[in-house]
Amino acid sequence: MLQRLKLLERLQNLARRPIFWIVTGLFTILLAAGVGSGIRSMQAPPPQPLDFNHQVHVGLGIQCLYCHPGAWRQAAAGLPTTAKCWGCHQQMANTKPAQQVLVAYAMAGESIPWVPVFIQPDFVYFNHRPHIAAGLNCENCHGEISRQTVAQPIPRQNMGWCLDCHRGRAAGDEQMLARLTDCATCHR
Amino acid sequence: MSNPLEEVGHKWGMVIDQDLCTGCQACVTACAMENNIAFVGEQDAAYGRSLQWIRVERFWEGEFPEVKSTPFQPVLCQQCGQAPCEPVCPVYASVHSENQQINIQVYNRCVGTRYCANNCPYQARVFNWRDYREPGPLDNALNPDVTVRRRGIMEKCTFCVQRIVQGEDTARAEGRQMADGEVVPACAQACPTEAIVFGRLDDPDSLVSRLKRDGRAVQLLEELGTQPSVTYLKGGSSYGRNG
Ligand code: HEC
Ligand code: HEC
Ligand code: HEC
Ligand code: HEC
Ligand code: HEC
Repeated sequence: MLQRLKLLERLQNLARRPIFWIVTGLFTILLAAGVGSGIRSMQAPPPQPLDFNHQVHVGLGIQCLYCHPGAWRQAAAGLPTTAKCWGCHQQMANTKPAQQVLVAYAMAGESIPWVPVFIQPDFVYFNHRPHIAAGLNCENCHGEISRQTVAQPIPRQNMGWCLDCHRGRAAGDEQMLARLTDCATCHR
Repeated sequence: MSNPLEEVGHKWGMVIDQDLCTGCQACVTACAMENNIAFVGEQDAAYGRSLQWIRVERFWEGEFPEVKSTPFQPVLCQQCGQAPCEPVCPVYASVHSENQQINIQVYNRCVGTRYCANNCPYQARVFNWRDYREPGPLDNALNPDVTVRRRGIMEKCTFCVQRIVQGEDTARAEGRQMADGEVVPACAQACPTEAIVFGRLDDPDSLVSRLKRDGRAVQLLEELGTQPSVTYLKGGSSYGRNG
């Protein structure tokens, strides 16, 4: 009992010193900054070999499916090959730094190592085809890509996100509900 | 027991004609290739830890050369209607697929208690005791449509559900019904004598349904009431499939 009182007294003494508050304050700020930057880095787009600008290209009237042709007929939407970029860009000046990077890859005949932005874990089997066939737009899941200068990830696209939409779509249809919520539909 | 969801989806089934099986192990090999089943090596195999989703059991009856003509029995997960492995899983990783009417193992859910394997009367489930990495370029042979299981995960035959889902997707994309025999699991595909037949049991005209009505049909441990989806044909006398 006496010991505990002594401890309390020492704590009270400590709290009267300004250094205590300075250290606690600094610690709190550091912690908040750490958490903040952690959350930010999860939502920030990953660094790409070159910044591909969707806004410029979609603004030119190029269809999403011209560059991501898998979306309407198979599981993976796919990314364009360097040859597809080069088909247009070999006729252009390519003065911007990002275009210079493209030129270097095209001259070397290499594919550009894009970093995945939207990616599910290996044990999830997503399929674009049925979603496009059901009339969904790319924007339903990928956001306003056509207004972005770099493809931005969207956080919290987890199992709950998939199932919320599936349940809503299948409301009232028992067979469709069983199909769209069956574990084997997404996990194999 | 009647389940309202029994009407939903497909009821997949398999018929294995033991009078045709030569015990060649092609099904075992094909299954391992299709489903990314790891090779455990000699030492672990000696401990009884080999990974196989289908195994060929051998029964000798009589004295060589007068052995009975049905000594081989490929055994795989029987995809029970009332599966003993399902209710014992504490984390619901061993679940019944209402859509495909099979039993599925959700690997990412599994925590490796192994209750399911202990409760399986067919010993059809196998456990990953280690991370068996495919060395060197062999990992290029992995099937991207099947999860590569980690250490501590229970696994078993899925009736090649990845092929079923793909077949359904293709049929729906082309706006048609799936034809009988369109989806073939790896074991049936590899079988040189076509002893393994796969198809829909809810379609009375499919080849499996017709073969299941054959007089030679038996099911493994039928008396347990597990309602297996796999049927064996054996009679010895009627060699071959003559109607
Ligand atoms: C000129 C070709 C081109 C067009 C047109 C185009 N994209 Fe892209 N898209 C790319 C390239 C290259 C990448 C990879 C670079 C990146 O991720 O920023 C990409 C990346 C993406 C990604 C992220 C992929 C990942 O890595 O996870 C999405 C989503 C996407 N595009 C959607 C769209 C949509 C929606 C449209 C139509 C509005 C569209 N794209 C039009 C070329 C194109
Ligand atoms: C249909 C033709 C076409 C295709 C295909 C195409 N581009 Fe472009 N790209 C253009 C045009 C036109 C511009 C605008 C040029 C300008 O404003 O100077 C442009 C601009 C760019 C820019 C500069 C963007 C900015 O910020 O101003 C980059 C980088 C670029 N493209 C990279 C790529 C890559 C990488 C690919 C392949 C995935 C690709 N492009 C495919 C036509 C195309
Ligand atoms: C129902 C939601 C949904 C819709 C609609 C959708 N996507 Fe996706 N997309 C995803 C998911 C989820 C992933 C991640 C898949 C993975 O990692 O397995 C993805 C990945 C991608 C990728 C990168 C990986 C790949 O598949 O090649 C591209 C590119 C892409 N989508 C483009 C598109 C385009 C273009 C459209 C419209 C035609 C579209 N998506 C419509 C959910 C969607
Ligand atoms: C915005 C709504 C929406 C979201 C989000 C969504 N889906 Fe879907 N999904 C659908 C629709 C609609 C269908 C088509 C149903 C049909 O076949 O009529 C579908 C079908 C599917 C199918 C095919 C089912 C079959 O039986 O062939 C798979 C697989 C699938 N979704 C996986 C996913 C996964 C994985 C995610 C999350 C990463 C996801 N979906 C997110 C709406 C959505
Ligand atoms: C519509 C598609 C879909 C269906 C149906 C579905 N899942 Fe998932 N599941 C996902 C996605 C997507 C993720 C990845 C979530 C993430 O990245 O956080 C996931 C993740 C999981 C995880 C987490 C694994 C981990 O290591 O974080 C478990 C466990 C799981 N699912 C179990 C199940 C079970 C059991 C069922 C059947 C009852 C099921 N899922 C049905 C899409 C689905």
